[in-house]
Amino acid sequence: MATSTFSAVDEYGFERSLEFDFKYYERFMSEYIGILARRLKRWEDLSNSERKKKSGTLKRFVRKGIPISLRESAWMTISGAEELKRNSKYSFNTLRKRKTNSVIKEAIEMDIPRTFPDNIFFDKDSTLPEQLLGILIAFANSNTDIGYCQGMNYIAGLLLLVTKNAESSFWLLKTLVERILPQYYSKNMSGLITDLAVLDKLVQKNEPAVHRHIESIGLPWAVTTTKWFICIYAEVLPTETVLRIWDSIFYEGSKVIFRVALTLIKMHRNKILECKDMTELVKCFKEMGSHHGVINCHQFMKNVFRVPGSFPNKLLEDLRRQHNNSK
Amino acid sequence: MANRTGTAQRPNGQTQGKICQFKLVLLGESAVGKSSLVLRFVKGQFHEYQESTIGAAFLTQTVCLDDTTVKFEIWDTAGQERYHSLAPMYYRGAQAAIVVYDITNQDTFGRAKTWVKELQRQASPNIVIALAGNKQDLANKRMVEFEEAHAYADEHGLLFMETSAKTAMNVNDIFLAIAKKLPKNEQAGAPGGGGQGRRLVDGDTGPKAAGNCCK
Repeated sequence: MATSTFSAVDEYGFERSLEFDFKYYERFMSEYIGILARRLKRWEDLSNSERKKKSGTLKRFVRKGIPISLRESAWMTISGAEELKRNSKYSFNTLRKRKTNSVIKEAIEMDIPRTFPDNIFFDKDSTLPEQLLGILIAFANSNTDIGYCQGMNYIAGLLLLVTKNAESSFWLLKTLVERILPQYYSKNMSGLITDLAVLDKLVQKNEPAVHRHIESIGLPWAVTTTKWFICIYAEVLPTETVLRIWDSIFYEGSKVIFRVALTLIKMHRNKILECKDMTELVKCFKEMGSHHGVINCHQFMKNVFRVPGSFPNKLLEDLRRQHNNSK
Repeated sequence: MANRTGTAQRPNGQTQGKICQFKLVLLGESAVGKSSLVLRFVKGQFHEYQESTIGAAFLTQTVCLDDTTVKFEIWDTAGQERYHSLAPMYYRGAQAAIVVYDITNQDTFGRAKTWVKELQRQASPNIVIALAGNKQDLANKRMVEFEEAHAYADEHGLLFMETSAKTAMNVNDIFLAIAKKLPKNEQAGAPGGGGQGRRLVDGDTGPKAAGNCCK
């Protein structure tokens, strides 16, 4: 662990950016390693049924982070992916081997070498690209309405890096796309367009000055935040932070995406307000991932569940309904 | 490379040159090389496997034309068909567009034509459109004839070049050709379109300059 803090790639094989603050990271990790060990111990003390049944305790445990070694199995149960897999008429292997629409197949094949090209584990000589292809093909075969949408490659790719298991990655992807996220990847991306409008409203309500400023500069939310929704922060924030976010999304659902968005915007309020033009604003959004408060994923997740205040499902449902056909 | 200066020429210390800012959008089918063209133009780099763009990317680059510095605000978009519903957000108010296709893939040329039609119908009326037949380095696998694309571009009043983001062929040139064609002495873009060509006072890059076109 100690050596990896100085590595140019993170433990999931992603290159750290040139601006990566190794000093800060080392300081954070020296503390976080203790937290990870403590959390692992606490998780190991949970009984099998306690790990599976939704409860206040389990929700709190998930919010504090699922230990790396337990992530695959915990994600599978808390998200409902395990159940989906169990009740499915078709196995992953059957779906993977079915004949795929040639246009979709070509689109997927084109994106495989374009998925995490700099990640050391996605090296052309490794089996990961082939496994990723299998996951996306199986998904397209299992859901012909959606088929393949760019962005799913990043989600499936990161699932694969974490679980190291193509079959689990497939069921987790399917659960995310079909049950947790609302129509982000459909042919007209209606769920994404709705959620971009919902975010606009939430920022307007929570951070009116930021909203006015971004509007006056003329930056559409879609430019900077499409990736937040479509990739659920993969390729946007540091990997460990993304996985902590995914822990809670698998348990609590898509509203966590908004909690994270509002937390990021609140954290960067002053920086955003200082931006004089589009160039500065886009840069400010791009650099959010290197903020110390984001690298410190443990503190960041505490803020995510505190800073935006109460966020009932009902509020999100109402906003989504209001903005469903507005664009 | 010579066209990359960021400041206006100022002979004798006098503010001679003007700086104009234009919004340019790149459109075209997935994997035709939109992001690669931008990366080549802005950073002089090329990646064999360029990550697919989700949503859009925003970059800037300036070119110098005689006494004018043209600053491009470049909006690079996602190519997959279903991201189409987001595209109007990006081309709204754009003064220029590069519609890209891959010369080794006939379907991408068809899609480029659809984009041109949409832009001519829905974008600002005076938008300058360039058609780029990219991946010219793969001319041995060509599926779209130069003459065919050239005739189409002529017929529709588009600038046209075959480009290669990989070898850099015609990349700066196509941006330069657009810069030349953009109106720098009159109102650019549609009135009320919210994205008029803006003349910037030296050093002023703020949004307040919007609407003051090069005069």
